[in-house]
Amino acid sequence: MNGGDQLMVSNKCQNDPSKCTCGGNCTGHQGPATEPMLEEVVIEAENLNIELSRSVVISEASFKVHKGDYVGIVGPNGGGKTTLLKAILGIIPISSGQIKLFGQPLSSFKKWNRIAYLSQSAINYDEQFPLSVQELVSLGRINGVKMVGPLDKKDQEVIRRTMEFMGITDLAKRRIGQLSGGQKQRVILAKALVREPALLVLDEPVSGVDSTTLERFYKILSDLNIKKGITILIVSHDLAAVFCRMSKLMCVNKKVRTSDIGTNIDPSTILKETYGDHFNFVYHKHDCKGAFNSD
Amino acid sequence: MSIISTTARGHSTLTDLTLQDFFDLFNYQFFQYALIGGILIVICCSWIGLILILRKQSMLTDGVAHSVFGGIALGLFTGIDPLWTSLTTAIATISGVSYLRRKGIAQSDSAIAVMMALGFSLGLILISLAGGFNVELFSYLFGSILTISKHDLWAVGILVVIIVMFMVLFHKGILSMTFDEEDARLLGLPVPLLSGIFNILVAVTIVISIKVIGIILVTAFMVLPGLTSMQLNLSYRRTVIISVVIGIISVITGLFVSAFFDVATSGIIVFVMGSFFIITTIFKKLGERT
Repeated sequence: MNGGDQLMVSNKCQNDPSKCTCGGNCTGHQGPATEPMLEEVVIEAENLNIELSRSVVISEASFKVHKGDYVGIVGPNGGGKTTLLKAILGIIPISSGQIKLFGQPLSSFKKWNRIAYLSQSAINYDEQFPLSVQELVSLGRINGVKMVGPLDKKDQEVIRRTMEFMGITDLAKRRIGQLSGGQKQRVILAKALVREPALLVLDEPVSGVDSTTLERFYKILSDLNIKKGITILIVSHDLAAVFCRMSKLMCVNKKVRTSDIGTNIDPSTILKETYGDHFNFVYHKHDCKGAFNSD
Repeated sequence: MSIISTTARGHSTLTDLTLQDFFDLFNYQFFQYALIGGILIVICCSWIGLILILRKQSMLTDGVAHSVFGGIALGLFTGIDPLWTSLTTAIATISGVSYLRRKGIAQSDSAIAVMMALGFSLGLILISLAGGFNVELFSYLFGSILTISKHDLWAVGILVVIIVMFMVLFHKGILSMTFDEEDARLLGLPVPLLSGIFNILVAVTIVISIKVIGIILVTAFMVLPGLTSMQLNLSYRRTVIISVVIGIISVITGLFVSAFFDVATSGIIVFVMGSFFIITTIFKKLGERT
């Protein structure tokens, strides 16, 4: 993009911090992260370096994600967002530095059932895969121990409650290839949620759906964050949603820069550092209600 | 090989055949063995093949089957039982494909092509060194279901028990790994172990199937029943059952048709499977239009 390119961000809070009381229509973030007593560190990265095929993808990244944070990860394509997530989850190795999950070094971390991950490919699954919605959601409940034998009553109950929460109970017997884009999202999210995670990691889960579906999906994520206290990391190119919904901004383009949202900190600087000086970020003086009025 | 001619019943035309002839076939031990062996093999192939389709590795069967040609030639050339040399080649091929894919050296289809070319060329070299084409090697290419021995039946029977036990006990893990491998790892599933055992079962199934249907047609046994049942848009459990049922019906039909029409048994079995696939796909498309 050339000089003068604009990324438009709708957020009243950015222009008028006094409005950021997180009541009424100032959506910004209203979750547990605003409560100072919840300071448990869920993810901690220190001097993190990641190289793939001998090229540096992430350089000297240090950041913390606390319990209840709702982190929007933004950055240009190829900036290293997915790589960073995969490194945090131990899917790809790091070159140097340290990652801790729930206070445990990644190498010795064992409680993977506390983490749910939705990859880019998870939602774009093979529609011919012969599974019913019930069968797919149930797969999220198994682990190394529950791999053999039927799921017990507690598992069934968790699956039932989650499907109810996600509004997919009536789809239970439908084949996963017969779902709409929005239904797919909710079903895949339900599969992730049945393991009752403390941390939910999503990699671009909202591509190719209409605005109503998008709104409903973000509403569910906000509910999970605010009502259930689940820490959420989400990679998104939707800056408006990030600024309206989330509590923390993480800009990734080889370097990782973080900023709170809904405070009087102006994120323009780190956005420009991430996307390049030739971008102008325009903030509209209206409530997020326009885009996300389902709250 | 025609069963009628093999049994020397003296019938020259179909009009001479009676229902009694149909039942008489069951009196022949080779026919009993062919029927039982074929059904057992198709149970393994249909189930394992369905998972391979879902893992987008159906051509792995073709690659392994062709590279096994080299393994069989090696066995015949060195005097070692071809079962062991072909099994070793099959496992080496699957491991090679897996390594090339995992290390990002080649995509799955290219990796299969490389391993297939290596195995097949090994076979050709050994044949030329042996000084000509071996008749026994020819039977591996096209299979010989009517010559299944009691020893073969035992081998297939044990294989079926192992595969059914593995696929039933670990079906959730296998499904999870097949649907989303990264997520399965995060769930704490032993993905490398499950995948390794599954790959070995694929290798054993292919090697034993080659005896029955031959290198050329083993891919059809692995792919067609599963692909046909997938057209029906059923749950996983029902897809597996329908896949196995289609395979069994094809084997039984193929054996009888080959007996009465004097055509190649493995060819007609695969033809029946292919017909199932075409008919199911047509009905599916017609159903989508209405």
